[in-house]
Amino acid sequence: MEVIMMLTYDQPGVMQRVMAEFTRKKINVDTIIVGPCEMPDRSRIVISLRGREMALGVIEHLRGLQEVIEADMVDHRRHEGYAVMLSKGGVCRITGTVEEVETVIKKSQPDKYIEVVNAI
Amino acid sequence: MNGSRAVVELLEGQKVEVLFGIPGGVLLPLYNELVDTDMRHILPRHEQCAAHMADGYARVSKRPGVCIATSGPGATNLVTGVATAFMDSSPLIALTGQVATGVLGNDAFQEADSFSLMMPITKHNFRVTDPETLPEVMKRAFLIATTGRYGPVHVDLPIDILQGEISDDAMRKPVRVPKPKRNLSGLLDAIKLLEGAERPTILVGGGVSWSRAGPEIAQLADLLMAPIVTTLMAKGAIPEDHPLVLGVCGMHGRQVANYALNNCDILLAIGTRFSDRVTGNLSEFGKNTKVVHVDIDSSEIGKNVKGRVGLVGDAWTVVNALIAGLLKRKKRSTWKDRIIELKKECTCDYNLRSDPIKPQKVIHELSDLLPEDAIVTTEVGQNQMWAAHFFRCHGKRMFFTSGGLGTMGFGFPAALGAKVARPESVVADIAGDGSLQMVSQEFSTAVENDIPVMICLLNNGWLGMVKQWQKHFYGSRYLATKLGKSPDFVKLAEAYGAEAIRIEKHSEVAEAIKRGTRSDVPILLDFIVDPEEDVLPMTPPGKSSAEWIKGRCQWKGGVR
Repeated sequence: MEVIMMLTYDQPGVMQRVMAEFTRKKINVDTIIVGPCEMPDRSRIVISLRGREMALGVIEHLRGLQEVIEADMVDHRRHEGYAVMLSKGGVCRITGTVEEVETVIKKSQPDKYIEVVNAI
Repeated sequence: MNGSRAVVELLEGQKVEVLFGIPGGVLLPLYNELVDTDMRHILPRHEQCAAHMADGYARVSKRPGVCIATSGPGATNLVTGVATAFMDSSPLIALTGQVATGVLGNDAFQEADSFSLMMPITKHNFRVTDPETLPEVMKRAFLIATTGRYGPVHVDLPIDILQGEISDDAMRKPVRVPKPKRNLSGLLDAIKLLEGAERPTILVGGGVSWSRAGPEIAQLADLLMAPIVTTLMAKGAIPEDHPLVLGVCGMHGRQVANYALNNCDILLAIGTRFSDRVTGNLSEFGKNTKVVHVDIDSSEIGKNVKGRVGLVGDAWTVVNALIAGLLKRKKRSTWKDRIIELKKECTCDYNLRSDPIKPQKVIHELSDLLPEDAIVTTEVGQNQMWAAHFFRCHGKRMFFTSGGLGTMGFGFPAALGAKVARPESVVADIAGDGSLQMVSQEFSTAVENDIPVMICLLNNGWLGMVKQWQKHFYGSRYLATKLGKSPDFVKLAEAYGAEAIRIEKHSEVAEAIKRGTRSDVPILLDFIVDPEEDVLPMTPPGKSSAEWIKGRCQWKGGVR
């Protein structure tokens, strides 16, 4: 699992432009997190994907985009897992390392779940 | 002031002299303001050609060309021209009208999502939804187009923004865009490699045309005793009468250029993205070669050819740094002498005196007869490759072609744009009958605006390049490549008010070209050429140059 973190301007069209670079490079992105950050009018985008070669192949293109201020690979130790599950007992939130979150999901076999990778 | 007035003043502020545009419903406020400006407005007959004209203008002047189209179909028609400029890194400002912001997304009349359409084929694009940001956007557009690697920028202008009120504060707001980062950390490695090179070759790409680093590269070549081969986009970036310049390499390149490319031990590649048309089979390319790759765009380093020494910076700066590092080195001249000997073998006589006229004969006469500051554009296909291979781009001559996207119909409108940028030069479009029919309506624009370009039509009645592939790679099973019922091109040009001559004998070629260069009105030279003549030599697609198809080529230098 590789994670790319971007600092971008917060305006319409940024996600479309960023994702277009992944489309062109035939990359199927695993998870996307995007949201406001500590700076006004800026956003952080955290994207996870499989394949280091692929990630390295796209990152310079991301850096070339006008709306992307920074784009970097995130060290594996800083990857954070997050999931929301729905099972008979109700909604359950899980945080931890990616492996921990995956283990919990496997064990509890929820009816529905969504899992994402975040980082900071 | 209103948005339209602001756009006009911002264009004037960028010292724009010419606009290539077609108005439409949502652009009426803008055109109302354009009535009162000194900027020249040229009305092409199709938006695609507006973009090609602005592109041709930009390639000559090295400044952004500006084209304008209305919303919906205007914008979609513009797309091909913008994509052409994008692939060839040409600084273009494409302005499109748009329906009012209040109805955006409601499928209003002539609405298309041009912001999304243009996104993947521009360096950057904007949709203005707040009048106060209009001045900043316009200024940024020009800066982005010409900072770092050049490229087209699109600005989508909804009609209510053109009618909205813009404050003086917004107009005065200064704008900056970040300069691309240089990375010369590999400079010492590069110098070491080049110092130790026994058979260095310099591969020059379109980036060098844009950064005008030709003289410095010639100096570096002399220092390294290295031959220079160019890509299609760089043809003419270094005058081809320089003894070390071997001409265009690649699929239809000159054999001596391909030889130098395939047999060097160190390849210094400058401002090129290693297109498949240059490298052929990528896995075979450069197996025994170490590559130093110089590019202003960091995403190009290692994109196609991997694991090499990369230097990120503009060609001019990096080449000067390399010259400084290599200045005191004594190089042996063995390789250079061998290449110069081989170059003699690659100078065949293509002044073919037979009828029907051979296209090479036309290019030969153009090489001889065009002035030293002539500008040549081409369409796409056989005409383009004959021109690339045989036209001698000496002195201050310029050569412009749609290298990346390969857009048929580029040459004629680009020639018009080039002539507008430099009216004192003879401008010739080397065309094919397939390409010309995609843009023949522009004779109107040429005549109306008094833009005297020369169209040298190599008329063979076929979509020749596709036919050639059907012939060589698909067992001569021809379909949809014979142009069965073409118009009488002489009558067609004359109908638009241009001059035209038909030439059917090789003995008449030179005289016709002389007349063309003297013409002060747009002129079409309709050369009826041999339909059986292929563009050869060629390296078949995906193959290495060992598997070339020879044709008339006399080359005996071998490939290895």
